[in-house]
Amino acid sequence: MLRHSPAILTASLIVTLSTPAVAVFKAPPTVKVEPGQAEPFCNSGAPPEWRKAQVIEGVAVQESRSCNPDNPNDIAAFVKGTNNISMETLMDTSNVAADALTLTNDIDKDGDPDHYVIRLEIMELNGHSPDFPGVVPTFDIAPGIQPSFWVFTPKSRDMSTRSFASAEANPLLRMPSPPIRVEQGDVVWLVVENSHYFPHSIHLHGVDHPFMDHSGEGNDGVGQTSEMDIMPGQSKTYVIRPRHPGTMYYHCHVQPHTHIPMGLAGIFVVEENRPNNWPQVFNVGAGQVRHPSVAVLEKYKQEYDLHYQSVDKELHSIPQSANDVRLVAKKMNQEYDITDSTDDYFLLNGRAFPYTLRESMIVVNPSEKTKIRVLNGHTEHLALHIHGHKATETDYDGVPMNPAAQVTRDVYSMAPAQRLDLALDTTNDGLHSYGSGLWMFHDHTEKAFTTNGMGEGGSISLVAFKDYVEENGTPKSHGMDLKPYFTKEFWERKLPVWQEHMGDGSLGAPAGTMDTKPGINSGNELPPPQAQPAAGTPLAGTAPSPSQGSGGGLFSGLLLGIAAYFLFQNREKVLALIGQIPLLNKPKQ
Amino acid sequence: MNKLNGSLLGAALFLTAGPGLTAEKSETLVEHNMLMNHGGGHLMDMEGGMVMGQNKDTLPPGCGRISGDEAITVRAGHKYAKDYPGTMFGFDKHEWRVKPCTRLTVTFINEDHVRHQWMMHGLPKFIYDKGMFHLEMTGPAKITGTLILPAEDKTYLVHCDIAQHMEKGMKAQLIVGKGSAPFPSIPGITDLAIADDYGPKVADSVKITPAAAPAPGATAVNAPSPPASGNNTFLLGLILGAFGMPLAIRYYRRRFEGMAGSQVFEQVLNDLRSTVDKIIGYLTTLIGRVGKK
Repeated sequence: MLRHSPAILTASLIVTLSTPAVAVFKAPPTVKVEPGQAEPFCNSGAPPEWRKAQVIEGVAVQESRSCNPDNPNDIAAFVKGTNNISMETLMDTSNVAADALTLTNDIDKDGDPDHYVIRLEIMELNGHSPDFPGVVPTFDIAPGIQPSFWVFTPKSRDMSTRSFASAEANPLLRMPSPPIRVEQGDVVWLVVENSHYFPHSIHLHGVDHPFMDHSGEGNDGVGQTSEMDIMPGQSKTYVIRPRHPGTMYYHCHVQPHTHIPMGLAGIFVVEENRPNNWPQVFNVGAGQVRHPSVAVLEKYKQEYDLHYQSVDKELHSIPQSANDVRLVAKKMNQEYDITDSTDDYFLLNGRAFPYTLRESMIVVNPSEKTKIRVLNGHTEHLALHIHGHKATETDYDGVPMNPAAQVTRDVYSMAPAQRLDLALDTTNDGLHSYGSGLWMFHDHTEKAFTTNGMGEGGSISLVAFKDYVEENGTPKSHGMDLKPYFTKEFWERKLPVWQEHMGDGSLGAPAGTMDTKPGINSGNELPPPQAQPAAGTPLAGTAPSPSQGSGGGLFSGLLLGIAAYFLFQNREKVLALIGQIPLLNKPKQ
Repeated sequence: MNKLNGSLLGAALFLTAGPGLTAEKSETLVEHNMLMNHGGGHLMDMEGGMVMGQNKDTLPPGCGRISGDEAITVRAGHKYAKDYPGTMFGFDKHEWRVKPCTRLTVTFINEDHVRHQWMMHGLPKFIYDKGMFHLEMTGPAKITGTLILPAEDKTYLVHCDIAQHMEKGMKAQLIVGKGSAPFPSIPGITDLAIADDYGPKVADSVKITPAAAPAPGATAVNAPSPPASGNNTFLLGLILGAFGMPLAIRYYRRRFEGMAGSQVFEQVLNDLRSTVDKIIGYLTTLIGRVGKK
């Protein structure tokens, strides 16, 4: 009887399929998914005159053809010091504190100050609020994406947000921690005022600094070896006089496996000593250095800082998951396991594509040289590639390479924490450059050009020749419409990526498989912090389900053990029984 | 040049020695009393001391005259967070009450080595720029400012606007007259609008002495010891079942040899009762011990 069953089953299947075809299955038609509200390409609200080349307080500020240019008053304050500019200029800065940067004492009488007092604060972006279900102060890395960050910031004044009505962070409060520039041989007091609710420190990676300062206090920023961490509400002054110039690195060394990815890390440049040399101490938001140092201008027309970072969204949701500082500490220090983590967002100068185009394009003219300083702040390897160009590696980790050994190539390999200086030559010779255009540059590690796995996102930006860029920094692109990238729905995976590609909807959404009006319910507010995947969630998921009590485990184990015993005792009978089951015995042909 | 640099480094020593983590009482407060007036009630100095919305004589509408002069002193810093677990920064007081049309002089003392603010919102914008009265400086320091409060009953938000300082404790309210609706999340005064989730309560571990431990089965049945993972006890059960069964069979076979069916039943029942008794006894001692802790 049993032997016959497969045959019967097959027969009945054939009968079912061969019944006369009333209608051939037709796949659902294509429906159009309405894209949500797209932001304009440029909504920085920056006054157009901020982009112009100008002189403020005697400081030459280069042109910036960027949607979101630096405030030139900030540049003046960061070059001359807040103590050497007029009160009017100081008031026109983006709320730079009066004591943010004090420059005095031309010790060697070469026309520039040699004593720098640089004050940093530590700020949390996209942090928790116990009062409303959103984050504050906000800093979006892409439309609708607000992971929390901790950053060093130039000391500021007044409100943390742009106004009482706005939750958006003051322009000085942003990712990444600002590149800091000082002159070789100057006496630098780096004052860290810990305005954050956790202990922090600064370790000057690669920057010449004594292990102990003259007062016998540790100066290395390492809690385990040199000095106690800086507690919330306290400050510490690191004293250095760097002898060697180059592109270096600074970062917090408290719980560095979380504090560095959280954002407490930045580029530290020691500029070569020159007469009358006033380096731009802070380059807020990295990108173009609008007042390059004397030594850089000897060889290059302009200079850019590129800081690459990666973000694990689980880590960066922890500060949003609770208000009690002890709960945040527990989740950060004891529950989060970086060895189980994966990176979700990839940032260039604090933003992901398409926001990178608003402020981190490298704008060039033909036949000129641009100095690019790159920091790999990723947790993993970086493989930087510039389309249409082969730039030359001049320095690694702040040390110049022998000119004969300098390599010109198109993929630059960098381990985490490494710095690379590149000379980008736009001479159209078929080797260094293929001529004018909008040339993409990106980390060639595939996941780095996605945002939470959605492409094209991540740390993509452009080397843009000036004839391809509008006055306000909009690139004159010749490809697809970039609007979908400026909607939240695209990054929420609600828009078919190729919907508009073929015009006839060939690659659109099959009806019934996607919400066709996703924009209706996506408000401006983020879901309440509680609703977001809390830090504990992934950890709890991997652990055995809590409902499985230990007593239950013992009991079922005991039962199974007894069963196993009897099975073993009666194995011969059982085997014989199994032998009788017809399906397991192949019928002899 | 080097000599001069040396002296600068020496000066650095002096500076770093000052704001260290040490001496709380020996610290001297910097007094910000040489502020430059930038008009519109905005005063500032080069050390970062700021008063915004200073108003000593412009009467708000509805105030025929100043009803009275009041002065308060507010202290701020990490040490005032200690009474409110889970916060990090704080004010020494979180609520003040004044009469309408009071001329209020606020002396703000910041005892930390970072910036703090005593920032008030919601004032009439035609008298107070952005509707704000605001004191700010880096501690340890002291600053004073004066304002005249409007005529209507209203509760004003007072906070430090530095990122996360309000959220982590620096939130207060100033009640004029009968006041209006209170603000949430003020330490010691109002609840958080969004409460924190502290998760299930975790009991402290209890040391189990070998003598007190009965059959291993009983320990595992005692559910409150959470760290024991299900997997381990399952394995324990499996081993006990597989290898304990032959022993048990042998034991009971020897014991019940020659007994009648009813006698066997009675014996098994007895054994079961004593096991249950033992488990209950163990649980009571365990609970007693946890209670003592």
